[in-house]
Amino acid sequence: MELHISSSATKAENFSSAQLFVDPTRHTTAPLVTGGSVVGIKCSDGVVIAADTLASYGSLARFQNFSRLMKVTDSCMLGGGGEVSDFQEIQRLLENLITKDFCFNDEHIQTPRSVHQYLGRVLYAQRSRLNPLWNSLLVGGYAASQSFLGVVDLYGTTFESEVLATGFGVLLGLPLLRKAYRPDLSINEGIKIVEDVFRVLFYRDARSINRIQVATATSAGVTISEPYSLETKWDFEGFVNPRSTYDESTW
Amino acid sequence: MKLDVFNPTFGFDELHRGEEHSIVPEEEMYSAKLLAPRLSNNNNPPKDLVKFSHGTTTLSFIFSEGIVAAVDSRASMGQYIGSGSVKKVIEINKYLLGTMAGGAADCTFWERYLGMRCRIFELKNKERISVAAASKILCNTVYQYKGMGLSMGTMIMGWDKKGPHIYYVDSEGTRLKGSKFSVGSGSTHALGVLDQGYKWNMSVEEACELGRRSIYHATHRDAFSGGYINVYYIGPDGWKFISHEDSGFDKHYQYVAEKAAEVQAQQMSIS
Amino acid sequence: MWNASVVAVPATESIQRPDFMPYQNNGGTVVAIGGEDYCIVSATTRLGLGFAIPTRNVCRYSILNNRVVLATAGMFADTVTLHKVIKARVKIYEEQQDKPFELRSAAQLLSNTLYYRRFFPYYTFNVLGGLDEDGQGFVYGFDAIGSGEKVKVVCNGTGQALIQPILDNQVERKQQYENKQITNLSLEEALDLVKDVFTSAGERDIYTGDAVDICIITKQRGVFVETFQLKQD
Repeated sequence: MELHISSSATKAENFSSAQLFVDPTRHTTAPLVTGGSVVGIKCSDGVVIAADTLASYGSLARFQNFSRLMKVTDSCMLGGGGEVSDFQEIQRLLENLITKDFCFNDEHIQTPRSVHQYLGRVLYAQRSRLNPLWNSLLVGGYAASQSFLGVVDLYGTTFESEVLATGFGVLLGLPLLRKAYRPDLSINEGIKIVEDVFRVLFYRDARSINRIQVATATSAGVTISEPYSLETKWDFEGFVNPRSTYDESTW
Repeated sequence: MKLDVFNPTFGFDELHRGEEHSIVPEEEMYSAKLLAPRLSNNNNPPKDLVKFSHGTTTLSFIFSEGIVAAVDSRASMGQYIGSGSVKKVIEINKYLLGTMAGGAADCTFWERYLGMRCRIFELKNKERISVAAASKILCNTVYQYKGMGLSMGTMIMGWDKKGPHIYYVDSEGTRLKGSKFSVGSGSTHALGVLDQGYKWNMSVEEACELGRRSIYHATHRDAFSGGYINVYYIGPDGWKFISHEDSGFDKHYQYVAEKAAEVQAQQMSIS
Repeated sequence: MWNASVVAVPATESIQRPDFMPYQNNGGTVVAIGGEDYCIVSATTRLGLGFAIPTRNVCRYSILNNRVVLATAGMFADTVTLHKVIKARVKIYEEQQDKPFELRSAAQLLSNTLYYRRFFPYYTFNVLGGLDEDGQGFVYGFDAIGSGEKVKVVCNGTGQALIQPILDNQVERKQQYENKQITNLSLEEALDLVKDVFTSAGERDIYTGDAVDICIITKQRGVFVETFQLKQD
């Protein structure tokens, strides 16, 4: 394995780091312990984001009670999927950011939008070092009577939308969210919608679990629910009598 | 750090002493320097990421009155013609011209940089830079980046104290002095016509027409050359832009008609 | 080949993921037309990723000042970063020099900014449009590493091969057998043309659709932005 070439003084160091770090990790360069989808929806009086509580180790449902939601400030919350250790690093970065603001004691706080942009720059910088933070993050918040919902991915792509999802949720959840979205949704309706999305994801996403957490940001602040289980129903005709692939498509 | 594109102080560090001119943000310098070798080793980036204008025909030659340079104007990106109106003769200063073949961005960027270096030379030395020195600056600059994927084949030409000169410089680090060059995918076609019609003693008009005709024939047979034909002449008083003509339609039938008239005249003389 | 003064790299920074590809294609099409006394710069709003559409409403253009607009297709994270860099440099220039940033300066700045990343390019395809020193509309088209050209009309991005020939034909009157003289399009005609080409490209390019932001630059009104809806399929 060839590393970058630099001055002779640093060459030895790079050589040893190649031996120590790069080669042994070659077979685990893809994410190891991963979280699945996060979904979010804007409501008239706040924002709802939700994630299930599963952290998978490959196809093993390794940690079944892992919280992938975080309260960043009183007006901002974060949900993360992808590599769990990278997500925890991001949590540490945000805690540092918020602590610094607190220490200045000038009443300046990060807005949801600034947290979103900050994460965008961090993840872009890391991908530019070819050492990405392997996550998809949803930032939600409610500040100055304005809802905010944005996403950041491992390339540093950032954008905002009324409804957002990451991971498998992009394929299975987004269409449902787009269909259900109205500008005048209440927070409770929003919670209902994301619960439905996670129920559908649980039926079809093999890396999901029916245990979720829901976080809301409203004028009252950010609250993250305790994990709870979704009611599921398995007596649909298609589940009871799955058709053979020889009949016709099961989609 | 002097000739480093990632921190281009461009020799100005000697003019503004002590003033730091970091044009590129720190993060970009860092990432680009570290990652370039990895990216070029991997061969991973999408193939169409950096679209080069590889197809080209450029030529230049010295004759009794000076230098003629003629070029086509097509830039292709794979199958797609990115542009049909590229200026492939780069005006470095009043007495120096460069031609462009290979990566369009590589050529324009480094020849612009060469223009700046030539101006700095003038300000320092109170005289114009020789063609030999100018071409060597370019050659040394691109040699620093050898093996990193730069792509340029260029002719640096001009009139200095010792008369007209042409130097061929490419991204491999080659630098050749000569009196007749053609560069690009259509160069073989062009050289055939050029060698056949070349004489030392020609009028400027004759020489320009020879260059033009050579490029036309290259655009006719080489799919990656085409567009317009630009012709420049360099005399003792610097360069002069001569013509800009469509190589496709009118030019084709003009040459067809000339050929027919020639054949007819020959037949007449035989009979 | 690398300069010896490269900073020493901490060991942890060397942990890289060799199979990680740092590029992503988010598609998008940008078109710009320069007229006698106006300029139009337009960009689609769909963000595509493979066969999915993560969002239908992103902003691919930046208003640099009241006579220059930049629009970019390609990888969206690179687009955002590039726009931040350019906007910062324009702001610094205008604060220091106390005069507006001219179109041709913006073109040179963009070209250099792209070329500085020659060996790790921004995966972006840019068009820059605006009014030049004489108040005439002109546009510049660039490739990913900063090779650009001043023209009257240009298209970049995933719809390039679909749209550019039509623009050549309708704006520059190229390849027309009968009518070869250039007739200058009025602003209204140019606007209709832009809407038409985007609608057509939307039918044949999966990365073009949803909506297109159209920036109209005139001396009287500065930059005026309107959004034109495309099909959402």
